[in-house]
Amino acid sequence: MIAIPVEHCLLLSVMLFCLGLLGVLVRRNIIFVLMSMEIMLNAIGLAFVSGGARWGQADGQVMFLLVITLAAAEVAIGLALVLQLYQRYRTLDIETISKMKG
Amino acid sequence: MSLELFLFYLASAVAVFATLRTITCLNAAHALLYLISSLLSIAVIFYLIGAPFAATLEVIVYAGAIMVLFVFVIMMLNMGKQTVEQERSWLNPVIWIGPGIICTVLLAELVTLLVQKERLLETVIVTPKEVGISLFGPYLLAVELASMLLLAGLVGAYHLGRPLTQKQPGSIK
Amino acid sequence: MTAEQLQALLPIIMMASTSVIVMLVVAFIPRHSVISSVTVLGFILTFASLSWTGEVGQGLQVTPLIVVDRFALFYSALLLLASLVITLLSFNYFTKGSGSENQVEPGEFYILLTTATLGAMVLVSSNHFASLFVGMELLGISLYVLVAYLSHYRQGRQGSLEAGLKYLVLSGVASAILLFGIALLYAEFGVLGFGQLGALWSNIGALNGIYAMAGLGLLLAGICFKLSLIPFHMWTPDVYEGAPVMATAYIATISKGAVFVLFLRFFMVSGAFMQEMANNLLILIAIASMLGGNLLALMQSNVSRILAYSSIAHMGYLLVVLLVANTGNVPVSTISESVGFYLVAYIITTLGAFGVMAVRSNMLDTRDTDQVADYKGLFWHSPWLASVLTGMLLSLAGMPLTAGFIAKFYIITMGVEGLKWLLVSTLIIGSAIGLYYYIRIIIVMFMRHDEEPITGKRDRAVSTIDGLVLAALAGVLIWLGVYPGPMIGVIQAAFPG
Repeated sequence: MIAIPVEHCLLLSVMLFCLGLLGVLVRRNIIFVLMSMEIMLNAIGLAFVSGGARWGQADGQVMFLLVITLAAAEVAIGLALVLQLYQRYRTLDIETISKMKG
Repeated sequence: MSLELFLFYLASAVAVFATLRTITCLNAAHALLYLISSLLSIAVIFYLIGAPFAATLEVIVYAGAIMVLFVFVIMMLNMGKQTVEQERSWLNPVIWIGPGIICTVLLAELVTLLVQKERLLETVIVTPKEVGISLFGPYLLAVELASMLLLAGLVGAYHLGRPLTQKQPGSIK
Repeated sequence: MTAEQLQALLPIIMMASTSVIVMLVVAFIPRHSVISSVTVLGFILTFASLSWTGEVGQGLQVTPLIVVDRFALFYSALLLLASLVITLLSFNYFTKGSGSENQVEPGEFYILLTTATLGAMVLVSSNHFASLFVGMELLGISLYVLVAYLSHYRQGRQGSLEAGLKYLVLSGVASAILLFGIALLYAEFGVLGFGQLGALWSNIGALNGIYAMAGLGLLLAGICFKLSLIPFHMWTPDVYEGAPVMATAYIATISKGAVFVLFLRFFMVSGAFMQEMANNLLILIAIASMLGGNLLALMQSNVSRILAYSSIAHMGYLLVVLLVANTGNVPVSTISESVGFYLVAYIITTLGAFGVMAVRSNMLDTRDTDQVADYKGLFWHSPWLASVLTGMLLSLAGMPLTAGFIAKFYIITMGVEGLKWLLVSTLIIGSAIGLYYYIRIIIVMFMRHDEEPITGKRDRAVSTIDGLVLAALAGVLIWLGVYPGPMIGVIQAAFPG
């Protein structure tokens, strides 16, 4: 029997989530922003699977599958927008396009 | 310390390090490779905590299919040396301060909350069969709706992926 | 799955099949009029199927994910009608550009409208985190594309691309935060249904579990982002301004409405609002949104942005009702009644305001007709449109004889009964500030000026469909304001089971 502290699994997922959030906030290159969003989604997947493992349920893995579906759809749309951005402005800088003031 | 526990901490360390490199790397292709290695180490963790199905999906779908999309785009955009230089100029240390503080506070808060008590996870392996049964049992509707989600993503990417042109061939009248 | 359950699912099945059929029509019969008619027919049939769901009584649980009750059916009906209005108004919005060199192909717009509406319908019937997640993402993914829809035409607008990217990144992060909250709650409690969670929470009393606190906090932050409550409102004005006006109308009405209904159900079923922490946070958020939204709206010169900030304030008003629920002074049925009436009034009014904007906009321009200056003297050259817009703005301001008055009256009554004096006074101050910028637009419309409209925009004749739709919206607005009885009866019957 293997015993892994469930707290440590969640701790890892919290760390990865925060790193992903940091990436979204810091990077200006839109590709890196999308990658950081993938990191966040992956951390969520880890949290679900470790929750499922803690309770011995399949639900965690089912939610993980749904998270993967979301990641695929979001990346497809995101990268299509990236291509347009590049074709139009020849840059991947997310700040050149924020012309509108907040 | 058992072998499994050692492997768990090793994989965690690899995952954190690779993720850290992903968000600090200047070259997009290198960052992608780091991201993939991070995903693979997460797959190892999934296997260790008794979720072989999720581990397989992580490798095939996440590290395989989704990351390939990134590879395509990075190759298409042909991001060479000058983009690395540009990234270097964008990423001056000062801009890390604000977000760094935010994320550290968040992390510290969650970590102090989470390490208060420890529960050992006696691993029960949730087999692919069980996952399949619940996917097509209670979660049937979620699977159907996930297919609609992918349809929306497909239609959207098709629309947005059209090249910038003055005149559309076969336009709708 | 039994026949009874399948019958209860009929509207959702109909909506999903509509998406697929519209997609096939776009592929094989790519004519705008055909696509539009099929979409309209799909919405109408789905609406009709709401009455064939059989006797659902106190609510029929279909798999653990979806509950079909009168509450879900009522809001599905409301969202379907709103989608129908948007589809009808989109037809002329896209037709106006046809015949020119770079016309926009509107086919995918309709497919995505149907998938987004499917997501909204799932949201209002959801009582499980899995269906919450899938519904919200179905809505979100469709909306990313709708917002960026006009982005890739060289002559077209650039704001659409900016708005699309901004919405994708910010909304994606918000979804991730919400999901992470769900994941933490799952890791702590091991259940995903709202009802099971509520049962566990009522057993343990106050939440002091660490995961639970973190999870609930993240979940609240994600939902507040989707409702664009302050301090999670940054995206709203830019997206409202940059997106094509029909997509903006969709976000403002259906997306926010569905998320709020879900929020209401989650809070009622799980009892999350009994948690002290959640309650205190929400009070702060509500006050900030009511004051901040109205104050920021004062500084704008763009009608879309004004409506964006005013929507922030309106979501703040709605939040007051939820907070009153916590006091226990007011029965839950009254809470659901006032939220229902407010949402109906808000959706009709917002649709009307954006409808007038859509009728006057041309998608091939670099922007929609949304500067306040574009409305100068509108009353003198198209009195009809100006009157409709005036009615809508007065209703948003909460003037008597409009639906907005009754709706606001409901909320103030609730607040007084719940003894939430701070919230009520903030609401009244906020509304007073709001009056100023709504009236400002109305005054601009009545200013007489002899020269051509500043931007050189000449209004085309309003098409029959648009005219009928706007007339119907204005009619319902007045009807609800003067004689709200029947609608209140319908809403009272739709009580969450």
